[in-house]
Amino acid sequence: MTHPKSSRVIDARYLEPPEPFVLTMEALDTLPAGEKLLLLLFREPHPLYKVLKQNGYAYETELVADGTFEILIWRP
Amino acid sequence: MQALLSFDRAPPIAAPLRFFLTAPLFGVLAGLLLLAAGPDALASRWTPAALAATHLITVGFMLQVMAGALMQILPVATGASLARPLPTARLVHGGLTVGAMTLAGAFLFGSPGGFVAAAVVLGATVALFLFATGGAVLGIPSTSPTIRGLKLALAGLAGALALGVALALTLGNGWSINLPALADLHAGWGLGAWAGILLVAISYVVVPMFQLTPPYPARQSWWLPPVIVGCLLLWSLAFALGSAEGTRLVQGCLAVAGMGFAVFTLRLQRQRRRARADATFRYWQVGLGCAIAALAMLLLAAIRPELTEWGGWTPLFGIVFGAGGFMSLIVGMLYKIVPFLTWLHLQNAGQGRVFAPNVNKILPDKPMMWQMRAHFTALVLLAAAVIWPGPLLALAGLAFAVANGWLAANLLSTVRLYRRHMAALAKPAGA
Repeated sequence: MTHPKSSRVIDARYLEPPEPFVLTMEALDTLPAGEKLLLLLFREPHPLYKVLKQNGYAYETELVADGTFEILIWRP
Repeated sequence: MQALLSFDRAPPIAAPLRFFLTAPLFGVLAGLLLLAAGPDALASRWTPAALAATHLITVGFMLQVMAGALMQILPVATGASLARPLPTARLVHGGLTVGAMTLAGAFLFGSPGGFVAAAVVLGATVALFLFATGGAVLGIPSTSPTIRGLKLALAGLAGALALGVALALTLGNGWSINLPALADLHAGWGLGAWAGILLVAISYVVVPMFQLTPPYPARQSWWLPPVIVGCLLLWSLAFALGSAEGTRLVQGCLAVAGMGFAVFTLRLQRQRRRARADATFRYWQVGLGCAIAALAMLLLAAIRPELTEWGGWTPLFGIVFGAGGFMSLIVGMLYKIVPFLTWLHLQNAGQGRVFAPNVNKILPDKPMMWQMRAHFTALVLLAAAVIWPGPLLALAGLAFAVANGWLAANLLSTVRLYRRHMAALAKPAGA
């Protein structure tokens, strides 16, 4: 799946916890330098934010009209 | 990194569980009270037994579970963390338990000293809870409709508390005041701005997450909580101006807003991707259906106020909205939260060496479904007992007590499982 914000997309919108978290962590382990990962969810993942901050990642979240949170993650 | 799974910010399991295990006991007490009170107990909303039972449910059951659940979900839903979760939980739990009993006793025995004592205990307890949760969440930017909703729900609780304390002190000191209008306003803040907005804000997260439905649309989600608070502010203004028409207009708006949310949630549930209809799903269907029915009663009464001249109108509204709506939605959520918390804490205690049992095995579907049928039976009997109290009220009270006792037993079974597994983990390997 591709998206205007990134070609690396995890669509976790209909997945049960902890699957979105696990998939995101796996994808970040193989994220090439300079690339961004886009996570799609129906809620804001505050626990994930904390792990991202602890591991030196930056993120930017946008809530779009249909109720999807688009979380763009990269290593600054 | 999986082991990190937000666990470091979750309060210890004892913090929320004490609330969840105590709440059903208040349900049992309310049922036994109706069983013992005699057939006139629900003849009007103002009988001592009706007022005592109402507060055993709203403070003893609803506020109890909502306070515990909010302390649990705050870190996950907002990123805020409570400074000292366990001591705060102990104090709030103890205060709510003693305060709910004192208030129910004051209503039942008409004790002025009891009302003053209840005002002091509940006032201090809820203020402490607001200080702890509000302090944690106020500094957090409102980046989602849920965070904004939770902040407004806490403001709603502050409003309900202030009016409740004023009412209790009025009853304790024999002050002269428009008691029915103030009691309505207190109920409006408590059920609409606190319980209602809290439910809405939490639904934004848990309905898509637990039932795998599409999301609530962003724009409406942002607006619904401020609209409810706005209505309550207008209602307060109408009260201050002594305007009955203004009050009814606002009540009508609140009813329409609430019905809109409930109908939309039912629609989301129909689009869910989880095929199985478990106890939570059924509880939510009935809870939302009851909420729509109760709000339709509120709307009807706003258009035709003479309907409330029948003494049973408000007790029936209270049963359908409280026991049918809020309690069904709350129990449905408890049946997800308690097994999940048990699993989460066991999984982390096992440190990846010993795996926790599957969530569905921690509290199997069968006992939940049977308890749910008992709750629905009690609900039908309670509603029928408003119309035919003579033969039915005692039976309805008994059924309600049984359903709540069953809920306590189901929740306790997960605690026993938790203790068994923790004891097994504590044994040295190979022992």
